[in-house]
Amino acid sequence: MSETRFTNVKQLPSVHLLGSGSPMCAGCGGLEALHQVYDILGTNTVFVNAAGCMTLLAVYPFTPFRGSWLYTAMASAPAGAQGIRDALDVLKERRGLPPEEDMQVVVLTGDGSAYGMGLSATSGAIERGLDFLYLCYDNEGYGNTGQQSSAATPHGARTATDLTGIGFHGEKKPLFDIWAAHRPPYVATVIGSEPLDLARKIEKAKAIKGPRLIIALSPCPTGWGFDPQESVAIGKLAVNTGVWPLKEYVDGKVVHTKIPRRRVPVASYLEAQGRFAHLFKPERNEAVLAEIQARVDGYWAGVEEVVAPPTPTLPQGGRG
Amino acid sequence: MKTAGRILGTAFFREGYEVQDAPRYGAERRGAPIFAFVRADKNPILERGIIRRPDLAVVADDTLAPMPSAGVLAGMDGHSLMLINSHETAETWRGRLALPGRVLVLPASAEVEVEGRAALPQVGAACAGAAARLVGVIGPDALAAAIRDELGHLGEGVVADNLGVASHAYDLLAAEAGAVTERPPQAADAWQSPDWIDLPFEGAGISAPAIHAGLTSELMQTGLWRTMRPVIDPERCNHCWWVCSTFCPDSAISVDGKGNPHIDYDHCKGCLVCLAQCPPHAIRAVPEQREQGRE
Repeated sequence: MSETRFTNVKQLPSVHLLGSGSPMCAGCGGLEALHQVYDILGTNTVFVNAAGCMTLLAVYPFTPFRGSWLYTAMASAPAGAQGIRDALDVLKERRGLPPEEDMQVVVLTGDGSAYGMGLSATSGAIERGLDFLYLCYDNEGYGNTGQQSSAATPHGARTATDLTGIGFHGEKKPLFDIWAAHRPPYVATVIGSEPLDLARKIEKAKAIKGPRLIIALSPCPTGWGFDPQESVAIGKLAVNTGVWPLKEYVDGKVVHTKIPRRRVPVASYLEAQGRFAHLFKPERNEAVLAEIQARVDGYWAGVEEVVAPPTPTLPQGGRG
Repeated sequence: MKTAGRILGTAFFREGYEVQDAPRYGAERRGAPIFAFVRADKNPILERGIIRRPDLAVVADDTLAPMPSAGVLAGMDGHSLMLINSHETAETWRGRLALPGRVLVLPASAEVEVEGRAALPQVGAACAGAAARLVGVIGPDALAAAIRDELGHLGEGVVADNLGVASHAYDLLAAEAGAVTERPPQAADAWQSPDWIDLPFEGAGISAPAIHAGLTSELMQTGLWRTMRPVIDPERCNHCWWVCSTFCPDSAISVDGKGNPHIDYDHCKGCLVCLAQCPPHAIRAVPEQREQGRE
C-alpha cells in the first residue's frame, strides 16, 4: 500500500478540474478539500450530494463539475449512490459500457448528514459492500443554515443552538471509529491544508473496490468565526495540535499518517476561532481548556500504546 | 447592508413610523451581493415584498452598479434618488448609468491604505447615517439610539466606531436633508404585472432541472464578492509547488507552463488564503474599490 505517485508536493496537480464561480463562502475549507479530491479522482466521477452547504455547488443551471451530480435528501445519499452504481453495472454488463467509461460514485455530504441523519443509510451501504467513495466535509455544525450544533460539533464550541455558557456540552461523535467498526476496506481522515497527505489517501482509495469513506475537516470562516484568509492556517493548527488526527483504516488496521512531533497546545487552535472566544475572554476558562487538552493528550497516549505492539489483522468486511 | 437596513428601519421606528425592513439574499454565501429593503410610513403599511420603485437606492459598493446581475438599478425612475459610495463624481455616475433622477455621492471610502479586511471602513453605518439624513425625518438622537439597538450586543467599541462613521455621514449630507421625498400614490390603472415568467406544466424530461454541460459555474462572476484584491509580485514569486493554486478553494489561481501563477479576478472571491500561505510573501492585498477606481 506504500506505492504512490505523490512522494513530493511538487507532484501535486497544478491544473484543477473543479470550476470556479461556485457560491460557497470565500475561504471555504470544504471547497478547498473538494477541489483537491476532484483533481485526484478525475473527470469520470459522479457526485451524489445530500442536502447541505454543497447543495449550492450545482444550482440550476450552474455547476462547477465536469460531469454528473445528483441531489438527494439529507439522509439518503448512500442510497442514491447505490442506484447509480447499479445503473453503471447494468450498463457494463448489458450495454457493453467500456471500462474506461465506468465512473467513481462519490457521496458528498456535510457532517450533519454523515454524523447524524445519513449514518443509517451509510451503515447499510457499507454492509452491502457498495462500491462507492464517501466524502464528508466536516465543518462541525449545520453550516448551511447558520451553524447549529451537529453530532460533529466539538466540546466547548458555541453554535447558533449553544450560544451560552461553555457552548456545546456534548462530544464530537467518533465517526471514523464508527465507520471503521463496519470493517470496510478503507476509512481515512484528511484536511485541505495537508494536500500531499490528502492526495495520497484519495489515490489509494480510488484504487480500492468497495466502500471507502473519507472525512475532511473543513475550517469554516463563517461558522467558526475567523477571517477567511486564516482557513489553511487553522487547518494546519488542527493537525499540529493533535485535534484532528490524520489517519487511515486499511487492512483492518488504523495507521496514523502524520503524527505531530511536538504537539502545539490546543489553546492556540481554539483561540484563533470566534466559536471558542468565550473560553479566553473576559478571562481564560482554564478548567474547560484543560479538559479539552487532556482529551487530546489521552487520544495520543492511546495511539502510542497501539503503535507499540503489532495489532492483529481483522478479517475484511463483507464485499458485494 | 442588512445591518444598515436594520439601523435605518429602527431609526424610523423611533421617530414614530411604521416600518418594514428585510434583507434579501440569494442562495449564495457571505461576500455575495445582498439587498435590504426599508419601508416606512406614518400609516399602516399594507404592501408586502420587495420594493419595486424605490424613493432612495443606497449603493454601498460602487463596483456593483454596472453589473446587471446585482440589479441595483431595478425600478429607478425620475423620482428615485441614488446615493452611491464612491470616489467618483455624481455626474460620472449619472452619465454612466443614464439615470433620470438625482445622484449623490457618499465619499465613505476615500483613498485609504488599510491593514486588512477588518480595517475597511464601516460602510454600512455610513450608508445608514447618510440615508437617515436624506429622508429628512430622522433626528441624530434616533439614529444614535438605533445604532445602539442594533449593535449594542457587539460591545461599546463597535457601537462607538459605527456611531462615529454614521454621524460623520449624517453631517456630511446636512445640505441634502429631505432630498428624498415620498412618491405620490400609484393609481390602480398604472399597475404593471411583475415581469416573471409563467412556467406551464411539462413532462419531467423537459421541466426537470438537468444541466447538460460542465463547468457552467464559470459564468458566475464571483469576483464581485471581493473587498480586498490579492496581487502577485512576479519578482518575488519563487515558483514553488503552486501553494497558492493548491490552497485556493475556488480554483481561481492557475499556473502556466513556466510555473507562474495567475489570478482569475473574474472569480477570485478575495478570501486571501493565497496571501496568508505564500512562502516568499509575494502576494499583497489592496482594497478592491480603490483598485477598480484606478482601472
